[in-house]
Amino acid sequence: MSKRTWTNSTAFKTAATAVAASLVLFGSTASASPTPRHASVSGVTINVAIAYPAPPKAMLAKFTSQTGVKVNWSYLQWDDLQTKIAAAAEADTYFADVTDVDWSKVGEYYVTKWFLPLNQYFKVSSLTSQYPQLSSFVRNGTLVGMPMDVSLLVTTINEKLFRKAGITSMPTTLDQYTKDLQTLKSKGIVAHPLDIPFAAAEGLSTYWYELTAAMGGQVLSASYKPLFTAPSSAGYKAMAWMVNAYKTGLVAKANLDYEDYQGFETQMAHGLVASVFSDYSGDIGTVYDVASQSSVVGDVTYSATPGISGAAPNLGNPDGIGIPRSAEHVQAAVEFIKWMEEPANQAAFAGAAGPKNVISTFPLPSNRGGLSLLASSGKVPGAADLVNLVENHGRAVFPAGAPPWYPNFSNAVYTNLHSAAAGQESVAGAISAIASEVNSLNS
Amino acid sequence: MVAPLLVFILALALYPTVLTTIDAFMHIDALTPPNHFAGFGNFTAIFSNPEIRQSFENTGWYVLFGVMLTLVLGTAFGLLLQRRFRGRGVVLAIVILPWALPGVVEGVIWSWIYDPTFGVLNSVLKSLHLLSQYQLFIGTRQIESILLTSLVQVWQITPLATLLVLASLQSIPGEVYEAARVDGAGWWQVIRRITLPLIRPGLAIAAVEALVLSLNIFDQVYVLNAGATTASSVMSVTYFTTFQGLNFGQGYALSLLATVVTVALSLGALKVLYRKVTF
Repeated sequence: MSKRTWTNSTAFKTAATAVAASLVLFGSTASASPTPRHASVSGVTINVAIAYPAPPKAMLAKFTSQTGVKVNWSYLQWDDLQTKIAAAAEADTYFADVTDVDWSKVGEYYVTKWFLPLNQYFKVSSLTSQYPQLSSFVRNGTLVGMPMDVSLLVTTINEKLFRKAGITSMPTTLDQYTKDLQTLKSKGIVAHPLDIPFAAAEGLSTYWYELTAAMGGQVLSASYKPLFTAPSSAGYKAMAWMVNAYKTGLVAKANLDYEDYQGFETQMAHGLVASVFSDYSGDIGTVYDVASQSSVVGDVTYSATPGISGAAPNLGNPDGIGIPRSAEHVQAAVEFIKWMEEPANQAAFAGAAGPKNVISTFPLPSNRGGLSLLASSGKVPGAADLVNLVENHGRAVFPAGAPPWYPNFSNAVYTNLHSAAAGQESVAGAISAIASEVNSLNS
Repeated sequence: MVAPLLVFILALALYPTVLTTIDAFMHIDALTPPNHFAGFGNFTAIFSNPEIRQSFENTGWYVLFGVMLTLVLGTAFGLLLQRRFRGRGVVLAIVILPWALPGVVEGVIWSWIYDPTFGVLNSVLKSLHLLSQYQLFIGTRQIESILLTSLVQVWQITPLATLLVLASLQSIPGEVYEAARVDGAGWWQVIRRITLPLIRPGLAIAAVEALVLSLNIFDQVYVLNAGATTASSVMSVTYFTTFQGLNFGQGYALSLLATVVTVALSLGALKVLYRKVTF
């Protein structure tokens, strides 16, 4: 019989230990060298990391011909991008010259100073009249990022299904909206007429903020104290309404696993639900009216969000762009942001110049010049309605700006709201847990 | 000869380990600077956080399901594939396929399978009259959610376990089986008395692989479960603590804990399972 040894145990154990260690550890920091800055931008190549697909090459080529700056555009998923921004900033390493500044991160970036203040390049006082959602990017006078788009939480309604249920005038109050949803269900038009994304993710938190605003309140005070603990408060009633909608079947049981985009794409786009109370502005053009992914083309409209006694506010959730502190080509980055902000370009990204210049999923232009061009172009479904909502009903989620600990707050909101819908805790318990987290974060 | 390997291990394992160990005892919170020595503060905070404690329990279930199922399925598939049959090469290639897919992709594929509205699993169970209506599989019940999430990872790591078992099986000389048959041993006796003891080195590696990966499960949890605590894992909590809460100190502490537990359990598994096999 031949003698074979399968493996050497000592070597194997050493290797297994090393593999085990390397699999679970993540690297620590590396120091960065001082970053050179150039007065002249021509010939410079900048890296742009954004959660939107790149605009058409011809548009970027136009920027290059104007400034001599070449652009490497990296499209990253929003979550991945936030992780990379945080990791690079904490490690003080170069990541990109221009990247995403989400409205929800402005408080955080103001405290961490991970982004260069843009005040020396853009005058806040002269921007205010041009940018309807500028306040989301300013903290104590510091311009942390420039708005890259205008984005709102809006109510979408499948009018065809509503009419099928005998509802001829669309709801303008929350009471009427609730009754209409019950009618849609009781008449069997759709088994579950409402989409609420109950997966424990950001979309659930923003849904609650929007419903709270519709009930006449807000979730946090200007000093970031919880305003939702009393059962009579708008925030408490909004959460109870959402959980009740789930438990009474207005919302499908499946929604416990659905994030916002899944609800839009699998339910609303296929007529399985008749309304999304807190939808994203732009979804009609980018999802519901796209024949290849929707069976409700032409049926869905933006509706004024039903409130207590009429149209409710539409909360803004815009994306911005900014310059990380470790950027290597600051001046070129500034030129790029200025180019991105040009009203004609903004309108083109949103579809005013036809599909060839569109940035996929781009909602609305960041400034009034771009909004006006878009509305007058007549090329994007519902654009005029949305511009009206922006101008007349738009409001920031937090009037004092997002708190620096917003991600922790949102995490507490969506985990507890998800648990309440799943029956793992009561609404009162969820409210109490969120308030406790807010108090802890404030201290 | 060993220098490149040594540099590799020092740079990619030892250096981060040392830094992580140091930083685990530091207050490093981007929102409340400056950084300073915190002693066991990060660990105290971790153990007093009920959501993190829940993730410890959940991860225990992930390890239990992951290791057991991977070993059982890996051994079963290894035994099946040991036999020569037509198309064996093709079957082997298909079996390996899940191993090549990234965890996130697998999570997305299985989220379609588990989908409570359109999912294949609901469809199959309903057509077999095992369900009267479509069910929500993930999100409401802790153990069921963990088991189904764990299955996705088992689907991914079983191919490697199968190959390890198969390699071990093929290293067993045929004479051993012949001798057993001459002595009148039955199928089960051969498996129990000869096969399983002689493939212990392969099983030990497969067990450590399953242990390490299930202790550090993240992609599948993130895709299927998002941020819910029902089926959270230590790694998902580490991610949220570090990159969402920006509490890097607690993130390092959690990583260090995961490392220590992983190494300890891996060595324990090797001690229990590994036996030097000579023929």
